[in-house]
Amino acid sequence: MSLTELFDDELIPVLRRLGDRPKGAGQEAPSEADTAARELVWATLADLGELRALLPVRLGGPVDALARLVATAEVMGPALFQSPFQDTVLAAELLAADGRHDTLLERIAEGTRTVAVAVREHGTDEPSRPAPLTTHDGRVSGTRRFVAFAPDVDLLLVAGDHEHALVAAGAPGLTLRRHDDIGRGDLHRVTLERAEPVPDGLLPHGPSYGRALARARIVQAGYLTGLVHGALELTVERVKSRSAFGRPLAQHQALAHRLAAAAAEATVVRSFVRSVARDGDAGQDIGSTAAQALFLAADLARDVTAEAVHLHGAAGLTEEQDISVFHRRAAVDTLTLGSPTALRREVAALLAARHHVLGD
Amino acid sequence: MTQAPPVTGIDTFREEVHAFFAGDTVRRTLAEVAAHAPGEEAAGLEVYRALGERGWLAADWPREYGGLGLSPREAAVVTEEMTLAGVPDDVHVLSIDIVGKFLLLAGTERQKKQHLPALARGERAASVLFTEPDAGSDLSALRTRAEADGDGWRLYGTKVFNMKSQFADVALCAARTSDGAIGMYGITLFLLPLRSPGVHVEPVPSVQNDRFNLVVIDGVRLTEADVVGEVDDGWRSLNDLLQLERTGIDFHGKARRLLDLVIRRAAETGRLADPVHGVRLAELDARLRASHAMAWQMVDNLAAGAPDPVASAMSKWYAGEQFRPVLQAGQEIDGMGSVLTAWDGEATADGVLEANVRLGPAHRLASGTSEIMLYLIATNGLGLL
Repeated sequence: MSLTELFDDELIPVLRRLGDRPKGAGQEAPSEADTAARELVWATLADLGELRALLPVRLGGPVDALARLVATAEVMGPALFQSPFQDTVLAAELLAADGRHDTLLERIAEGTRTVAVAVREHGTDEPSRPAPLTTHDGRVSGTRRFVAFAPDVDLLLVAGDHEHALVAAGAPGLTLRRHDDIGRGDLHRVTLERAEPVPDGLLPHGPSYGRALARARIVQAGYLTGLVHGALELTVERVKSRSAFGRPLAQHQALAHRLAAAAAEATVVRSFVRSVARDGDAGQDIGSTAAQALFLAADLARDVTAEAVHLHGAAGLTEEQDISVFHRRAAVDTLTLGSPTALRREVAALLAARHHVLGD
Repeated sequence: MTQAPPVTGIDTFREEVHAFFAGDTVRRTLAEVAAHAPGEEAAGLEVYRALGERGWLAADWPREYGGLGLSPREAAVVTEEMTLAGVPDDVHVLSIDIVGKFLLLAGTERQKKQHLPALARGERAASVLFTEPDAGSDLSALRTRAEADGDGWRLYGTKVFNMKSQFADVALCAARTSDGAIGMYGITLFLLPLRSPGVHVEPVPSVQNDRFNLVVIDGVRLTEADVVGEVDDGWRSLNDLLQLERTGIDFHGKARRLLDLVIRRAAETGRLADPVHGVRLAELDARLRASHAMAWQMVDNLAAGAPDPVASAMSKWYAGEQFRPVLQAGQEIDGMGSVLTAWDGEATADGVLEANVRLGPAHRLASGTSEIMLYLIATNGLGLL
């Protein structure tokens, strides 16, 4: 089986609804069937060897790891497959840089360990600057909100301003509360009260965090371009099947050109995302370009999903249409690894710094 | 999904080409162009002949026709470095990329031998006569007609908005040879000798530095030997070629050169440190990096023998759309400095920004308008319309 065979026309509609619950259902947990389906997909990804791209080359990971991770994320996008994939990319890079967790990395590549990253305390926090984390006697305390899949994963990587803590999901002192969010996904508040990290589980905050974040960002950008292509595909089908003013919507130039422009933007951004992944695999610093690719992909995801709902007409606002899920999920997925505004600010600072240095 | 690493040879080639465009010949050409008085325009640029001597002007043509037999990648490197250096590329686009390439693919051996080596050496130029006063994007509406005359035709018609025809020896001219229900059928492409009696070339005043021409063709006699491709079916085959060869490399290169100028001005004026400007430039830089990745993907597709006309239209459309925001950012950063022309003597950045603001709308019109690109994507790509 290949990746595209896994994410086939039968499974995709199921995956799009994973974790979903009725509006206003609040903190109700996802059904066991949903969790089981998610775990099954994850296990299949591991069986296909896709998760080996999470390993550094020294542990047998492929030399084109980032390109592969992006390719996997692109396939997940149209299925809106909600998983700790992007978080695990970030965590794996940090763990690989730390060098003390090779066994855990092997487990991650086998699909038997998953990691969620907990970085924000407040909604306005940005992942480039993790929230404060208090460490005392080797135990950590703090609050993290908007943590995806906290009950499903085996480990939480709690990113902090001075150090990061790797905490087992069931560790004493750790409590969870599910948020009720627009994506109706699996975001949680995590409270840590003197929680004990796993052995060697305190990792210093340093340059490797920025590199890990850049890798996760380009994978997230790949996911978002997949999401955009999925939304466009649904919408193209829709305008071909509906008529107005005596002819199919597809024959109205005003609509066709908007879809053509969106498809062009999506293809161009996807090309950029892939090229940044290749640069990363070639050992280049992708801090700035990954942020650029992510804000372009995020802008597009917001615009295209909103436009896609519009082109579905009022039906696009109903629970029945998958396009409404694309729109809601995009609202979450375009913020998790940095808001487009924050990403632009980061890139602008790097651009100014580069020219200042060149100017000298 | 995963792509082969770039061929190393291309890096060495790029270094050589880059060194050439950073050298004295190009500096002289740029100074010559910058020193032109209003309405003045060079007939042939020294840089073209220097490129021709090296075989770089048409690097992907066979050696027998003046090229080096290299791949579309090397040809794209030359185009990219030329546009990044700010060397006017109209003659390159018209003579090499359109007329020359079409002759190479559809011309007779005699036509190729007669025209290609001189074009590849940069010694001669060819222009393109498609557009008419009442036929632009919709070429099926053209009125230039080729009337049967013995074993040949006589051409009558008016062509407009063409460039470099005042310097070119020959032009690829579209004329209707027969009428039919299908608009595109019946159009034949002729090699029209521009220095013939019966061809009248005059300037059309335009906002750009380089002039538009009006070409009146009055009874020029042509024969089968002057036809490129099939009689009655020329436009379709040229259109196919243009769709396949379109990459967006040239449009990206020109936009990138402008953005780099704007970023440099932002750094010089201190405005790069102001997030209002910095964030805008960060975004434009991202969009041009995306455009660059896409354009090179198109070149790689061509080199692999698998061109994708829909993706190529996307690449051209996207690159063409970036000029307006880049120029607007430049105007915001340079303020009133951006309105002074090169002839004022006090303009910032030698008036390059001012000249490009005048030229700006051309990029969404040239080589297929933005709307034509969207039409191609909507129809051939998405199955709409």
